[in-house]
Amino acid sequence: MDTETTREQELFDAALPMADAGERDAFLDRACDGDPGLRARVAKLLAAHNHSDRFFQSCLSDFAAAAQEIPATSDSDAHQKYSMEMVGARVGRYKLLKQLGEGGCGMVYLAEQEEPVRRRVALKVIKLGMDTQNVIARFDAERQALALMDHPNIARVLDAGATETGRPYFVMELVDGIKITKYCDDNRLTTIQRLNLFVQVCQAIQHAHQKGVLHRDIKPSNILVTLHDGVPVPKVIDFGIAKAIEGRLTDDTACTFDGQLIGTPAYMSPEQAEMRNLDVDTRSDIYSLGVLLYELLTSRTPFDQKKLVSAGLEEMRRTLREDEPQRPSVLLTSLTNMDLTIVAAQRRVESSKLNKSLKGELDWIVMKALEKDRRRRYETANALAMDIRRFLNSEPVLACPPSRVYRLQKLVWRNKVVFASGAMVLITLMVGLGFSTLFYFKEREGRLEQARLRQMAEEAQAGEGQLQREVEAREQVTQAGVLLSHGAIEQADALVDSIPASLLSPSGEAATVFRSLGDWNMLQGRWQKAAGRYAVVVQVNQVDRAELSAVATADLLVAQPLFIEAGNIAAYERTRKMALARLVGTPFPAAAEQLTKTSLLLPADESVLKLMPPLEQVIVKSVTDYDPKKNDNSWILATWRTFALALLEYRRGDFTASMTWLEKCSAYPDQTPSCVASVHILRSMNQFQLDDVSHAKAQLQTGQEAVERHFRDKLDLGDNKTGRLGGWIMARIFLGEAQDISKAYPAVEDDAIQ
Amino acid sequence: MPSNEAKDEITRVLQAIKQHEEVSEQMMVQVYQELRQLAAVRMAREAAGQTLQATALVHEAWLRLFNGNPVGWQNRAHFYAAAAQAMRRILIERARRKMSLKRGERAEHVSIEQVDISQTLPDERVLLINEALEQLQRKDSELARVVVLKFFGGLTNAEVAEILGVTERTVHNKWVFAKAWLLENICEAAGPGS
Repeated sequence: MDTETTREQELFDAALPMADAGERDAFLDRACDGDPGLRARVAKLLAAHNHSDRFFQSCLSDFAAAAQEIPATSDSDAHQKYSMEMVGARVGRYKLLKQLGEGGCGMVYLAEQEEPVRRRVALKVIKLGMDTQNVIARFDAERQALALMDHPNIARVLDAGATETGRPYFVMELVDGIKITKYCDDNRLTTIQRLNLFVQVCQAIQHAHQKGVLHRDIKPSNILVTLHDGVPVPKVIDFGIAKAIEGRLTDDTACTFDGQLIGTPAYMSPEQAEMRNLDVDTRSDIYSLGVLLYELLTSRTPFDQKKLVSAGLEEMRRTLREDEPQRPSVLLTSLTNMDLTIVAAQRRVESSKLNKSLKGELDWIVMKALEKDRRRRYETANALAMDIRRFLNSEPVLACPPSRVYRLQKLVWRNKVVFASGAMVLITLMVGLGFSTLFYFKEREGRLEQARLRQMAEEAQAGEGQLQREVEAREQVTQAGVLLSHGAIEQADALVDSIPASLLSPSGEAATVFRSLGDWNMLQGRWQKAAGRYAVVVQVNQVDRAELSAVATADLLVAQPLFIEAGNIAAYERTRKMALARLVGTPFPAAAEQLTKTSLLLPADESVLKLMPPLEQVIVKSVTDYDPKKNDNSWILATWRTFALALLEYRRGDFTASMTWLEKCSAYPDQTPSCVASVHILRSMNQFQLDDVSHAKAQLQTGQEAVERHFRDKLDLGDNKTGRLGGWIMARIFLGEAQDISKAYPAVEDDAIQ
Repeated sequence: MPSNEAKDEITRVLQAIKQHEEVSEQMMVQVYQELRQLAAVRMAREAAGQTLQATALVHEAWLRLFNGNPVGWQNRAHFYAAAAQAMRRILIERARRKMSLKRGERAEHVSIEQVDISQTLPDERVLLINEALEQLQRKDSELARVVVLKFFGGLTNAEVAEILGVTERTVHNKWVFAKAWLLENICEAAGPGS
């Protein structure tokens, strides 16, 4: 044994748990006193440690691809004997009668159970050895939840155990059917008939989700169609099995190195493919349902299974995470005439009409289910089914094509990923983002880790119960959304009262619902309630990608003034801290302006001010680039942006600089009234500070009148022309601050100064 | 099922192990043949596109070779050690073969000095790790054994601990350290900037 590596490892082991870099350095200095070589080597090893897990994991992923290409050396009929070997054997209390088929991870047999009841069942023997005890333990953990499932479209899982040779097996209700895609094609089902079958599948999945069970491996071979009195009935099989087998990935030690991947890549959600991500929820099943729907409509999967697998796991993950699949109708146009004719014939239409029937709403529905960002997918299987029903009834669907802004933001985000993976060139391109981006990534990492720990703890405590409650909460949000769309606002508002906000995870739908209800309450002047609704908006809007920062900051524009208006300063400060930590790296001027304004609504201390420079640079650049000759709406933006800069200087105590920005701001044409009022008030605050009291009082008077006039009238949400309500509340908050300052200057001094 | 001769051969080898450590090499050749055959069989059977795992193959080989045969843990440990080595050899061979095919396209020899880690191809990575592993073998053979068992054999910490007769904690620490050591050595060899 080499003493050199032994010594290195001793120091390495000791230094590794030290989280603080200073502590580590001090320790190494002390321990390696007089041996700079040793110190340097250990420091390098510690640095390498940060990347080694990922590196080795990617290698293990490669192995999976490699194993496929190990050359053959022997006879071809060996497998024939192999697969037959079990028939006639007895497994537990089951007798294997014949082989029914085989899937990726196991072989399925027709088996007979003799006691306590005599019946025929399907018995699936899993190929993986070794891990059997754990597989069964995990299955047992979910047994109760599985037992609760009772749905005509779900095949019951009855039992699990180990064969004599140590393989795990599962016993299921026997389903005499064929896989859904084959059934549809063989019987030449029309698109409408296919959709009707698919809706039933969604209902089955919804039922399971409500019982707290995820499927995790939805694909055509797990959905069998049987005929009941001539009527096709889809049955989902294999519930709970994916989890029992997959658990190996989540063993804490195994997880870091064992790049095994179980499942069918073409049907896997991006977050499932990620593998390090333990946080897979019901929306992962929604994604797989989306793939299934895609295949039912086009006979193709969004990503070609063979291509995915042959590219290697690392590339496969990248594809699932980043590449946009073609819309179903677009995909059809890329088929050869021959292929298209076949696909169309299987649906009993002419090939020219098939494309048209998918274009538009069906395209959108599929693409919404396949969103990379799960918050943008359908919230529940039920919501997906409902949208298809709406399509079938010729009602407008919820899914709609992504906006141009969103697509643009996505593009920017992709560039950021490149940046993160080490394209240093971008650092110089994104001047000023260096610090904030680093900060952002670090913060994000910490948060992901926290989320992971929190989830593990939760899982240990509450098991699937938590999941179940979350699904219920999401279901209620969807219901509230439906009520809203029917104009039943009061009912919707009452319904969301019963949803514990802590159960809601980031979701676009929840944000929309709570935002509408917040606005509605605000218009009734119920500030407390409105603030409560917006608190949820802020929570479910939490984004950890700068690409979405604009969405999140727009809500801050209402939420933050509301918190102050409702007297909840703690909520304001918490939100300010959270928003700055997450979004300070935003490259979008609009987001930077909104974040700046809302963060400085109240006086800010050094901890806030020191985060501002990156935002300031983004805004200054956009204002400098602004061209007044251009005939567009950017004047609205420019006025608010210069106002934000003036506010920043005021909070820093540079009143002259603040006044300069305010002059620029006033020079723009056609300003929003709420902005004009805010400018008057901020100018007066500056003038007080600069001891120009008489001007200050005059400005304050003008501002005050404008604000009071606005709030005397009936409240409306406003628009860019009249000023949005959030902006007016903001003006009123500034007014309060200015009035407090004004109290220090008695009215009599007016002419003395002049 | 493996042929009876192959099975007998393995049993014979296993018995020999009890007297003589070095027979492991022979054992490895046996397991190597078995793994290749198994991979071929599974490839023929697998629905197109199903992913197949090297580590799962090793477990599968174990079940097939010793189905129902009572074998002592000692033998089982030897089997896994040999299987891990066999899997390593198979993967390296394959990577070399593929790299030599690619060399034509690239028109240059890929050596460890020219490789940017973040840009490496899967096959290159396997070769790089193997080279670094050989260095580690010379420095600290026990660390290297842990790497072979965990990385190529796909064994859990508990399994490796049992084979090596140490605690799980020790295996964990050694594996963490070895990973850092290997990566650091690969980067070092590849030069600055990678």
